Amino acid sequence: MMPSFRSLAPVIAFAVVYAAVSLLVTNSYYQLVMTLVLVWAVFGLSWNLLSGYTGLISFGHAAFFGIGAYTTALGQIYFDLSPWLLIPIAAMLGGLAGLLVGFPTFRLQGHYFALAMLAYPLAILYVFEWLGFQEVTLPIKRDNPLAYMQFSDGRAYTLLALAMLIGTILLSQWIERSRFGMALLAIKQNEAAAEAAGINTLVWKLRAITLSGAIAGAIGAFYAIVLLVVTPQSVFGMLVSAQALTVAMFGGVGTVWGPVIGSVILIPLAETLNAEAGTRFPGIQGVIFGLAIICVILVAPEGLFWKVRDLVRKRRAIASPEPLSAPQISDRPREPATVLSALPNAPAKVGIPQDIALEVRGLSRSFGGLRAVQDVSFRLRRNSILGIIGPNGAGKTTLFNLMNGFLRPDAGEVLIDGHNTVGRKPHELCEAGIGRTFQIMRPFQRMSISDNVVVGAYVHARTATEAGKLASEAIARVGLSAIAHRMAGELTTKELRLMELARALAGQPRILLLDETLAGLGHGEADEVVAVIQQLAKQDVTIAIIEHTMQAMVRLVDSFLVLDHGAVLVEGEPETITRDTRVIEAYLGKKWAAHAQH
Amino acid sequence: MLSIEGLSAGYSAIPVLNGVSIKVEAGQFVAIVGPNGAGKTTLFKTISGIVKPSAGAITFEGKDLLAVGASQRAHLGIAHVPEGRQVFPSLTVMENLEIGAMTEAGRRDWKQNIERIFEWLPVLAERRAQFAGTMSGGQQQMLAVGRGLASSPKLLMLDEPSMGLSPAIADFIFERLIEIRRQSDLTILLVEQRVAEALESADHGYVLEAGRVVLEGNNQTLRADDRVRRAYLGM
Amino acid sequence: MTQFLEGFLQALFAGLLIGAIYGLMCVGLGLIFGVMRVINFAHGDFMMLGMYAAFYCFTALGIQSLFGNTAGPFVAILMAGPILALFGYLVHRALISRVSGTRTSLLEGDGHYAQLILTLGIALILQNGGLIVFGSVLASIRTPLSSSAWELGPFFDISIFVNKARGIDAVVSLTTMTLLTLLITRSRLGKSMRAAADNPVAATYMGIDVDRAHRFAFALGTGVTAIAGGLLATNYPFQPFVGLEYVIVMYAGVVLGGMGSITGAFWGGMTIGLVQQMSTIVLPTQLQNAAIFVVFLLIIFFRPQGFFGRMVERT
Repeated sequence: MMPSFRSLAPVIAFAVVYAAVSLLVTNSYYQLVMTLVLVWAVFGLSWNLLSGYTGLISFGHAAFFGIGAYTTALGQIYFDLSPWLLIPIAAMLGGLAGLLVGFPTFRLQGHYFALAMLAYPLAILYVFEWLGFQEVTLPIKRDNPLAYMQFSDGRAYTLLALAMLIGTILLSQWIERSRFGMALLAIKQNEAAAEAAGINTLVWKLRAITLSGAIAGAIGAFYAIVLLVVTPQSVFGMLVSAQALTVAMFGGVGTVWGPVIGSVILIPLAETLNAEAGTRFPGIQGVIFGLAIICVILVAPEGLFWKVRDLVRKRRAIASPEPLSAPQISDRPREPATVLSALPNAPAKVGIPQDIALEVRGLSRSFGGLRAVQDVSFRLRRNSILGIIGPNGAGKTTLFNLMNGFLRPDAGEVLIDGHNTVGRKPHELCEAGIGRTFQIMRPFQRMSISDNVVVGAYVHARTATEAGKLASEAIARVGLSAIAHRMAGELTTKELRLMELARALAGQPRILLLDETLAGLGHGEADEVVAVIQQLAKQDVTIAIIEHTMQAMVRLVDSFLVLDHGAVLVEGEPETITRDTRVIEAYLGKKWAAHAQH
Repeated sequence: MLSIEGLSAGYSAIPVLNGVSIKVEAGQFVAIVGPNGAGKTTLFKTISGIVKPSAGAITFEGKDLLAVGASQRAHLGIAHVPEGRQVFPSLTVMENLEIGAMTEAGRRDWKQNIERIFEWLPVLAERRAQFAGTMSGGQQQMLAVGRGLASSPKLLMLDEPSMGLSPAIADFIFERLIEIRRQSDLTILLVEQRVAEALESADHGYVLEAGRVVLEGNNQTLRADDRVRRAYLGM
Repeated sequence: MTQFLEGFLQALFAGLLIGAIYGLMCVGLGLIFGVMRVINFAHGDFMMLGMYAAFYCFTALGIQSLFGNTAGPFVAILMAGPILALFGYLVHRALISRVSGTRTSLLEGDGHYAQLILTLGIALILQNGGLIVFGSVLASIRTPLSSSAWELGPFFDISIFVNKARGIDAVVSLTTMTLLTLLITRSRLGKSMRAAADNPVAATYMGIDVDRAHRFAFALGTGVTAIAGGLLATNYPFQPFVGLEYVIVMYAGVVLGGMGSITGAFWGGMTIGLVQQMSTIVLPTQLQNAAIFVVFLLIIFFRPQGFFGRMVERT
């Protein structure tokens, strides 16, 4: 994947300008500051790689940084190895540490994850202090300085750090564009939805933390070489983790330029204040970072980069307003028809061999004493639309979760083409052809419809081009082609629902599980979405849909499956179901059903 | 007493209520029925102040209710018995009732109220030291009702009291409600899944569907109307 | 044999005494987490401020001259409680309330990270600001009681020595704990806080101002931990970064006790104190703290719901 000139240009420009400025600096202290800015930028980028992209905030990245620092220090002291060799070794150890940390810790939720990550570097700190490494100094090599990365001119360090930064930026940019980045963003947005879209979330998170740890280890090693002194507090301490976090969050989370901006602003500020006022106000550095974090989280939680970009976009939108979307919307219902005519002839429903796309047999699941799903059995006929309905708490979403791999049933089978899929994880089922939408949507606000949809294409696509093609096709099938470039943050509820549908379609499912796709839509809008869903069934997709809005459902589905208290009440066609006494009873109460017979 | 006009409300991007107007006169028993997703719970949440409406007005005893903060509304005399009971599980039955009585009126009338509550709902008296979280669904529902009554309310709002309960227990609770209403001059606003029961005891009923009032009337007029069934089942 | 037994019992007693203080410390954090579900990274630093508050009350404000060296420190420590409670109240009002409480209860999960990061920022400011204001010189609250001990025994040739200062610390701690428990279980404010903790929405229906309950919980939790800090300060010297050393102790105790249970937090803290002191029997002193980390990580991985909390279902 060749990087475009647009993305390379700012990197090259930055590198050239920074190198030029650093060459002009003659004061050795300021040369050090120039180097440190880059060190923290790289560290921030490594933090960003895990926490910025996946949303799993790590408070313990100092663990990897410190491991890298000590690898270099001890490696040079005890084994007389050159940093040129030690930095790659530190990277490997950092990556390994990431993997070891990630494996158990990713199982934890929410604050437990944060607390565990906090604990690791602090625990290691105590161990290193106990081991007696209170202060480790790197020996000065006068006879062969270059082999040991000891330059007399501080600017050499800056240039070396710049090279590392450029490398990390390019790596991050590559990741952002690739399926790696897509997977991470999908995880950040909605981990369950990502799993259902075919993304093996654990594997991608482990990859992210391993890479993140490797980069942190490498830059930690470099840090030790620059400062020549390593203490447990200076590389494992809380301020170290906090700085990586602050620099990235202040500058902009989840973007390559965020940590760079944050570092360029905060580090010189902190260092200068430390130098000027450090004796009178020791610890001014920490105060600055503390204030920076607080300001960021209260005023611009996503960082400077995004805030500025949003402001600029708003100004541009005001200056040149886009044409109204309304006329385009009314065109849309016709689109599926035109697309349909372009596809090879889909066979008419009458005459299709009635084979079964999916069968559920005796599925049961309890939570504690509550039987959420009780012995449910039904069949999904190919290319049909089944509506799953029932009063509140009837177990409908639990049923989907069981079919989709999010929950393990206590008993029963889910058969696709005769194979029992119980026990397989959601992303595997997605590969097998089951697509799913969710009730609560959380799209990537700042990304276009195309980018939001392409995430779902990677389950079968092998290259980015193929993924893009599948995504465009899916977008066309739901009728959003005209606005495929528009950002998700600007869409209406109906457009968002169609986008969700498109993402599920991009994975080329044979079976679609739709969870309350019509929720929040007005009458007219619901009709439009219903039309799209009907087209899909004609195009060889089998659909099961959970919904409350009966008005739309009765015209959409071929048959209903009515659940009550987790068990199947009755199955049948809309006309019969809506007059069935048992169904009326379940919805309106026994008494009403009884006298309504008259 | 309570007047809702043109109320629209929802959650972030999703609109739920769309121009709902409902009137409850003092001393009346009003029932609201309708399918899931119609907005019944959202309506109650908006009256109680948890959800902010995007349009419309609510007046309570002539005062603009929307100008009053959520935690103040109980003190005006509005008691909300929430969907799913929502008792305080790690507090005892007695403590739950005491919390309910933390309004001015509640504190003033505590002595009489607690006697009457124990009379109407004896199981609460028996289990007053038990932790609410360990009680059965039916008992918790009674506690939730008792808690609401402890605030000495003018308006008692009940959100699906029969939900999750067996028909026998649901009937019992309903019975108690009717009894309570007979013996006091409480105004009641009830949301119910069981349409017949709700309309029978109520003076007036509203049918809510997809965020709008589609039918209203009393038990006589609504009983024979097939549109009620269609509101739930679509056809 | 008797020597081992004596060493064992001595460590046990030491663990109980220090555990009583740790327990109080954890209760403060447990109160905040139990009622508000806020992770407060800065809690150790509030404790540090409590230590300095007690110190300055004792020395600069004349408590030492008024009450002398024996009773004085304890008076100063008890004064530090309300001072820090007020400080906590203001911090909550100005900052914490923006990322917690009813405002963010509708934001799923996002509120949590904001709290973590905000309190991290506060921690940094308090630690480093403390360095600027107080300097890095170790301070402590001197009392002659810390250099004398009561002797229990000898029973069967075994004597246990109970350090007087630590003994009184434990008494003060337990008394505070008892008063706090009474406040929470009997008073209206306490009941409102518990209701707000159990079910903030239902509490609002009942007319409880949940945000106000949160503010009180935060203030109370801060004040209580400040007192615990002051008690610790009579035994160990401290400096502005002392909070970091105890953050893990506090979290380990709260998690061990079951996040959400206040009495659980006390027992959790007590357990951590025992682990710390008794681990000296087998481990070198420097690894004491590492032992706590190991325990902490083990709990998080294998029993995150803790041991002592009352298992009551949450609606």
